[in-house]
Amino acid sequence: MDFYKGNVLRIDLSAGTTAVEPLNMDWAEQYIGGKGLLLRYMWQEVPAKVDPWAPENPIILMTGPFAGTGVTTASRLVVGCKSPTTGIYTDSYVGGSFAPELKFAGYDAVVITGKAAEPTVVVIKDDVVEFRPADKYVGMQTSAVEEAMRKDVDPGAKTLSIGPAGEAKIPWACISTDQYHKAGRGGHGALMGDKNLKAVVVRGTGSVSVGDAKAFLDLIYKLHEEYILTEDNLWAHEEGTPVLVDPVNGAGALPTRNWSAGEFEGAEKINSEAFQKIRTKKRACYQCAIGCRNFHATTFAGETVRGEGPEYETIALCGANCGIDDIDALMKFNELCDELGLDTISTGSVVGLAMDLTEQGINDFGLRFGEVESYVKVPELIAKREGIGAELALGTRALAAKYGHPELAMEVKGLELPGYDPRGSFGMSVGYATSDRGGCHMRTYPTGDEVVAGTSPANEIDAAKIEQIVVGDSSKGFIGQNMSSIKFSAILCDFWAVTPEQLVILFKELWGHDFTEDEVLKIGERVWNLGRLFNLREGVEKDDLPKKLYAESGAFAEGPSAGQAVGEDKFNAMMAEYYTQRGWDASGVPSEAKLTELGIDVRL
Amino acid sequence: MPHVMISSKKCTGCHMCELACSAYHEGAYRPSVARLFSEVNPTTGEIKGHTCLQTACAKCQEVCPHDAIVTKEITVRVKGDYPSKEKNGEVVKGYVLVVDEEKCTNCGECYDVCPTGVIHEHPDRHVAFKCDLCDGEPQCIAFCQNPHVLAVDLKIDKMDRELQA
Repeated sequence: MDFYKGNVLRIDLSAGTTAVEPLNMDWAEQYIGGKGLLLRYMWQEVPAKVDPWAPENPIILMTGPFAGTGVTTASRLVVGCKSPTTGIYTDSYVGGSFAPELKFAGYDAVVITGKAAEPTVVVIKDDVVEFRPADKYVGMQTSAVEEAMRKDVDPGAKTLSIGPAGEAKIPWACISTDQYHKAGRGGHGALMGDKNLKAVVVRGTGSVSVGDAKAFLDLIYKLHEEYILTEDNLWAHEEGTPVLVDPVNGAGALPTRNWSAGEFEGAEKINSEAFQKIRTKKRACYQCAIGCRNFHATTFAGETVRGEGPEYETIALCGANCGIDDIDALMKFNELCDELGLDTISTGSVVGLAMDLTEQGINDFGLRFGEVESYVKVPELIAKREGIGAELALGTRALAAKYGHPELAMEVKGLELPGYDPRGSFGMSVGYATSDRGGCHMRTYPTGDEVVAGTSPANEIDAAKIEQIVVGDSSKGFIGQNMSSIKFSAILCDFWAVTPEQLVILFKELWGHDFTEDEVLKIGERVWNLGRLFNLREGVEKDDLPKKLYAESGAFAEGPSAGQAVGEDKFNAMMAEYYTQRGWDASGVPSEAKLTELGIDVRL
Repeated sequence: MPHVMISSKKCTGCHMCELACSAYHEGAYRPSVARLFSEVNPTTGEIKGHTCLQTACAKCQEVCPHDAIVTKEITVRVKGDYPSKEKNGEVVKGYVLVVDEEKCTNCGECYDVCPTGVIHEHPDRHVAFKCDLCDGEPQCIAFCQNPHVLAVDLKIDKMDRELQA
């Protein structure tokens, strides 16, 4: 079989058994791989309304058809489950080298169910799968786990692991691979910890076929030259995501001191230029010709601190949002989160909230905006649930509620918001409210258009913009939900601003027949609607975001985005417009006509 | 002789060279049988390239009891329109060491002496396999293509230069 391996590996941790079954190729044709195929499998594998902490709630690892081929950026893996944090669908994408290795071992996907009686490591070496006791790895930080697996399993072993935070089931614990790459959002690491699964290790010596491999090499060589390694695209290699700090700050959209400002006066100490000064190396994910990852090194409190990153979201949430402009402290904080296995967006959000609660005199956590000494101690306290960490481990929503100030919690559906304030980038309001996994910037990214490229007004939102949010507009590079859904099914990285036209070329190779651009976008729409159905089935709260981010009363008094607000009426009108364009009813339920049109074979 | 080198400093660890290598030689993407590899420590970011130095090393040839490692004349042309690639566009003549599969008995002597660890038993054919510069168009170099990286490149030693002259 070309591109796909045609195999799904099932691991039952309760029974200690494994099985291999054929990949459902009908679903693969309908949903391609990655996000789409994950959703179709989740519909089947997640028992309806299951308690997310129940052993029956699976963790599913899904590759894309292009993982293990030379298609640039296509090495990503998606991890999915019913989130123990939000209670709805969650998917998290991670680069590095795990997905290609899984394909070389012979599998497109892994479905992990049950709960091991003792801490366990699952080792996959081609067709041999074994359960190993994990006692000696318990408590280990993520880099140490990986090092141990290269020693104990195979020098070429690729590892997905949790750190102490996952073991302690911190709601936003993430899964790590290649140390700095995280399936970060939605608490997959916490569920892994609950399943007593410290790591999944894979070593594959097989192959991925693509038909005529030499002809395919020529094709991707052409794709790379024409679309990826272009002057326009090289910012990703030269600067990486820190390049966003200046434009977002300049637009008044950089979350600052728990979203109480949109402009951070210390931004220039933690912007791209500042990080370039401490840059030591460039790194790439597997099969990626771009190489956006930055290795940095510095010293903090007399000790060397190094890391691949931080990325923009970390700089925004753990930097500006905590009032931190000390680059060395930020590097240290990031390193701690990496090693402990904590998602930095959620960590920065909850720490910013605790600082806010302290500064406002609501409760003294001993944390203050910009105060380094207490700040760098927090990640460890959270991961161990020690001292203030025990309370912070509640997460942003529950912590704010506990102290009677839910309005200070900057989250959507229980997932902490990333680094773009809708007051400086209006499109993000509807984007956040309608995201399938809660507060997220990866489904649609109006900021790219409104702030970075400046091709669309940041302080306007209308029906045309809603259409861009729904579908996307590749001529302007506007990332929409349908477009990102198909892209994340393929799974390509955001750093390839792939167009439907380019996907047509790849999908023709994949399925051997022609696709139109509309058909490609239709798959994306199918995926998005299936995600909606899944969330409706499990019970999802109303689509909304913190009021101060769009109501007139929440507008900033000063800064670049001063006085700007979407406005409550406008927001509600735009949400209605969104549902209309989607073919959903006023409460966000897809119509029968829409589901039939999209060929979706499941119903609520 | 013309041989491939991976710059530890420039390499980003994307393994495209291994994919391109195996696609060319194996007809599928199979890095476990690539003829070169980039050894990456993800935690430290340290990278070490492993490539065949061809006749500049020739330890496999010296040790082979069956004369199965033979010297072959080759003309190399590097694909890719990147001026910063050292030998871009240039036609380089030289020699490579290739395995004569008729003579190879898979005794393993060469596997033990290879200083860079790039000659092994082929898992399907059960004979030694190694880098042959892809009949003159090294795919690893062609696919290391980010103009700001270009970590895999062709190097030429003294004997080659004499041959050119």
